[in-house]
Parts: sequence; structure tokens; C-alpha cells
Amino acid sequence: MERELSGKLALVTGGTKGIGKSIADRLLEAGATVIVTARSRPTDENLKCHFIAADLTVASEANKLVSEINARYGTIDILVNNMGGSSSPSGGFGALADEHWENDLQLNLQSAVRLDRAILPQMVERKSGVIIHISSVTGAVPVYESLGAYAVAKAALNNYSKSLSKEFSPKGIRVATVSPGMVKTDTMEGYLQSLSDASGLSVEEVTTNLMNSLGGIPMGRMALPAEIAELVGFLVSPRASYITGVNYIIDGGTNPSL
Amino acid sequence: MEISTKGLSGKIALVTGGTKGIGKAIADKLASKGATVVVTARKPAEENIEHHFIMADLTNSGDIAELSKKLIEKYGTPDILINNVGGTSSPAGGFQMLSDEDWSRDIELNLLASIRLDKVIVPRMIEKNSGAVIHISSLNGKIPLYQSNFSYGVMKSALNAYSKTLANEVAKHGIRVNTVSPGMVRTTAMETFLQSYAQSIGKTVTEASQEIMASLGGVPMNRLAEPEEIANMVAFLVSDDAGYITGTNILVDGGTFPAL
Repeated sequence: MERELSGKLALVTGGTKGIGKSIADRLLEAGATVIVTARSRPTDENLKCHFIAADLTVASEANKLVSEINARYGTIDILVNNMGGSSSPSGGFGALADEHWENDLQLNLQSAVRLDRAILPQMVERKSGVIIHISSVTGAVPVYESLGAYAVAKAALNNYSKSLSKEFSPKGIRVATVSPGMVKTDTMEGYLQSLSDASGLSVEEVTTNLMNSLGGIPMGRMALPAEIAELVGFLVSPRASYITGVNYIIDGGTNPSL
Repeated sequence: MEISTKGLSGKIALVTGGTKGIGKAIADKLASKGATVVVTARKPAEENIEHHFIMADLTNSGDIAELSKKLIEKYGTPDILINNVGGTSSPAGGFQMLSDEDWSRDIELNLLASIRLDKVIVPRMIEKNSGAVIHISSLNGKIPLYQSNFSYGVMKSALNAYSKTLANEVAKHGIRVNTVSPGMVRTTAMETFLQSYAQSIGKTVTEASQEIMASLGGVPMNRLAEPEEIANMVAFLVSDDAGYITGTNILVDGGTFPAL
């Protein structure tokens, strides 16, 4: 099991910190050659991953990135679309301007669309490949006070991933979505701090409010990035060979429904 | 017991894309229940319609501001808002046929147009502490079809999520927000879509229609919906009879959706 991704080339977007970094580490452990992208070079670099700078919210960057990877490393077997997030303000629906909606859709949907589009031809030619879209539990259980536009973009991503799986599974490519609940990362901490600053409440209070707006977390804590990476590591491996078109929510029990 | 057939008497309703197809059927149905109905579209209807008409292109923010201003000046804050406008002109044939522009257009028409209109109308409803908002979505928001209208389905899922978040936010202000998801409906827009799809796959319109129905898993009622059948559900949802219903997505699909 340890080297089950031996010989595979994996690309992880937003792979220099948080969930993306954990995923990159997990795939490395499994023997893959891992390329990570982010807009800027990380300060504490994981020297076993190859880094290529790219801003995937810019339309032309996806093709450029893929060409560079193909030239330097070969064809891509595994793509983890981990990049995503939101800088939209809290304060509910009224606080969201057009640009917030557009930014969240670009970052969480369109960037993945363009990268998948750039990579699929090589996977189709080899009749094999795995694409993971990192979504969010809010795509299934949307929240409105903050993250409203993010939740909507993730819901779009979920439909998109499902459709892609239906189209490309017959061609040997598995496509799956992973939807984390709250995960303990620097980005999450920064986000909670911004909520605290905007509302005047303490970080603990905004954290509790956010957990409550999701209906509470039965496990009573956020996930560790490595816990998300474990699921992704499994899904991209040959052990998940019959799994496609799914959206696996990994949220400490948050999602209340069947 | 007297049953009133004029359940929407005294209500002002705005129906977008209300000059044909599903939108017209909704406008007609609401009017038959006693509502004063204002419809919008990019151009006036071909035949005379009995509803009030305000021209507006909802992919244009200036038009939305104008529409809201005219509507409220002439009729007051609407009690009922039907976001019916939507559709796609993106090519069939799967994911790789879609350009960035196709995606942008589908995002505009199926999501952002409704968001922008809600943004000017809903605050007025909040001031009145009452209102009913409907977002017309599609079964493709729950059962996407990659081969015929890939990006349309994606944006309908987004619309569903948006509608739900809005419902949760404004429930405390006495406003109910629901989604209606039709399956295939017999309209000229559907006819146009099927013709275009049929051409792209080299089949007849009948064959194309059957293919779509099969890829949805089959339609138990084995026919398309009539626009009026969608309008019936909308009229119910905006009425007081639906007073405890909010944040839902109701499928009107002849039984198509297979899961629980």
C-alpha cells in the first residue's frame, strides 16, 4: 500500500499550504511524483514536491501550466483541484456585490473548469486518470451569514464534477468530489480572525457561531488537514477503482441529512 | 365552506421572462388567481398580452435598476417575485465544447440575473415584512446532462444553493423563498433546444427528445410537462396555502428523479 502511486504524476493546486500541502505530502508518501502550484513560492518549501508558480484565476495560466508540466515531467495521472476559497465579506446577502459573486465563481469553479479542460485530453488519450475536486460541506448545506457566495460556487462545482464524471468515466477517468467541513488551517484561522474583526466578537464566538450555522459538529472539533488528505489519498489510489461521480462529505458528522 | 378562487387578490406579482413559455403560463395563472401581474422580457410579446409589461434585459444591471424603479413607482413593492428567466445557448456535445464565454453567459442568465433582481426587490419586501420569491430552476440542477446542456445544469445547482441560502436568511423577515425544478416542458424554447440538440447529434427531434428522456433515467409519465402544470405549482407556492413552505426545491418532473 505504501508505494501504490509509484510511477504516477500528480498535480495539486494550492498545494503549498493547508489542505493542499497535506494532500501533496500524502501522495508523496504513496510514491507519486508531486507537482504543486500556488501564486507564489512558499517560504518553507517541501523540497520533495516540485513547485510551479501559477495564478489559475487568469484564463491563460491553465494551459501554460499544463504545457510546462508535460515538457518537464510528463503526462499527468492525478489532478487534485484543491485551490479555492473566498474573500467575500460577511453580513449576508446584502453585503455581496457583483464582484464577490464573480470572484468566488472564478476561484472555486472556473479555475477548476479551465484546468480540467487543459488536462483531460492527455488523460483521455491514455484512457486513464483521476480528477478530484475539493469542495465544501457548505455546497450541500449552504450558510448565508458569511460564505454565501462561496457555498453557491461550491454547489456549482459539485454539479460540474458530477457531470464531468458521467462524461469521462466511460473513457477510463474517475472524477470525484471531496467536501470537507471546517478544517484547522492557517487560512481558516485567518478567516475566523476576519469574522471576529468584522463583528467585534471573539474568535471563539465566531467559531462557535459558524459551527452552529452548520448545525453543529458532532465530533466537536475541526478536521486536521491530514484527515482530509487521507481520504483524497485513498480516492486517487487503485483501491478506489470503482468509485466515480461521488461527493464524499468529510465533516465530523455535520451534514444532518441522509 | 366558501373556497375563494381569488387567493392572490390585491397582490402585485413580477414575472421575469413572462411573455412566453413557462413565464407566460405563470403570469396567466397568477392573474387568474386575482394578482396584478407585471411581466418583463427583453422585448414585448408578439401577441397582445393582458399583463402589464416593462421591458428589461436582466443581464444588464442598469436595466434592473430601471425596472425596479418603474415597477415600484407604478405599482408598489411586489408581493410576489418569480425569477423565471433562464436558459442556455451553449453548444451541446460535452464539456470540451464549452468556451469561457459560454460559461459566462450561463452564469449570467441562470444565476446572476436572479441575484441582481432579488438584491433590489427583496430589501423592499423586508421593509414590508412579507413576500414570496420563486426561483425557476431545472431538474438538471439535480440530474445534470453533460451531453446536451453541461454548463446550464451546473448553474442551476448554483441557483438552488443560492435560493436556499436566501430563504434561510430572510425567513425571519416574513419572506418565503422556494425553487421549482421542472423536468422537460413543452414550450417553443424547448422545441428550439431540441432542434439544436438533434442537429448536433444528427438525429430527429423525436429521437433527440427520447434520448434526453432516457439519459434522465426515463420519465414515468412518458411525456413533457405543459407550462400550466409548472404554473400550478408556482401559484400554490406563492399563496398563503403554502405558508409554512420555504427553502425547498420542488420537482415537477413526471416522476423522473429516481432517488429518495
